[in-house]
Amino acid sequence: MEDVGEVPRPRIATGHLAQHIGQPVCFVGRVEKIHPTGKLFVLSDGEGKHTTVELSEPLDEEISGVLEVVGRVTNQATIMCMSYVQFREDKSPFDLELYNEALKIIHEFPEYFPFG
Amino acid sequence: GGYTQSPGGFGSPAGTQAERKQRIRSQNIVPCTVSQLLAAEQVDETFRIRDVEISQVTIMGIIRHAEKAPTNILYKVDDMTAAPMDVRQWVDTDEAGGENVVVPPGTYVKVAGHLRSFQNKKSLVAFKIMPLENMNEFTTHILEIVNAHMILRKNLMSASRVPQSFSSAGIGDVGGYGGGGSLPVNGLTAHQSQVLNLIKNCPVPEGMSLQELKLQLHNMSMSTIKQAVEFLSSEGHIYSTVDDDHYKSTDAE
Repeated sequence: MEDVGEVPRPRIATGHLAQHIGQPVCFVGRVEKIHPTGKLFVLSDGEGKHTTVELSEPLDEEISGVLEVVGRVTNQATIMCMSYVQFREDKSPFDLELYNEALKIIHEFPEYFPFG
Repeated sequence: GGYTQSPGGFGSPAGTQAERKQRIRSQNIVPCTVSQLLAAEQVDETFRIRDVEISQVTIMGIIRHAEKAPTNILYKVDDMTAAPMDVRQWVDTDEAGGENVVVPPGTYVKVAGHLRSFQNKKSLVAFKIMPLENMNEFTTHILEIVNAHMILRKNLMSASRVPQSFSSAGIGDVGGYGGGGSLPVNGLTAHQSQVLNLIKNCPVPEGMSLQELKLQLHNMSMSTIKQAVEFLSSEGHIYSTVDDDHYKSTDAE
């Protein structure tokens, strides 16, 4: 399994997938559904748009809530997941819509928030 | 968080007036991405990100690796903008355990520290590492990075040579003091500046009390004064002395 943990991974929303085919990215979204095989799940971004995330090995735990996925964008504009982390929401819910707005800002000002 | 202008804070020795003024600029604590820190250029003791001088910084990222040694803990903190950054936290060897607990990998943290470079490798020496309890702070941090670097660059480009700092209250709370729409001087609102000036000019050893501030500031309610005091205290401009009602300025004249 390749290690994309050492390279820049731009933070993107569903709408940016097409521009990052073949590249490592970081995607934050809410778990919508999990395929029974555990090798595929769907996340929604801050605009409610869905992204499919694939795994090379089936999930070995329950996932729910907001996930931050690191992986590579496939030719089908899905994300091949290398690793994921669950955002804690035990104290406060995560405002995914606000995060989406922040993404717009960092995409608009890459000189002040460079990836790489 | 906030961007503090705190001359004499964090153990920096008092120099001449000119030296202090010069050091004031790099006493701002600037939120950054790891990629910005890695790209920072070093000239002698100074680091610059696109010509903006930085020293104390904050980053937010996830701990990928943690290694405990007798005198320090070495973390690798990853914010997705580059490879994970080395963050070293010195352990107080006098403390009996407890104080410096290793934060486990997989935890999102806020790190405040100084940028260092050794043999061309950049790292941070952290004076504070805090797990994030509310991930919305992460979103805020992203916005603060863009805001800070944009403002710092604008300040640089403008003719003004006065060191500016700015508070996180400045996002959307602009225009308290200076001319139309410009940043408040020193990053403080008019109320905060008034309170700070009174406290600075108080000659009494135990400092100024809240009651005295209320007497002098007729236009401000006690709750406004308390809010200003709380903000100034958290930014390091003032500290409490004999009790929570008395304050002195950290900027000793």
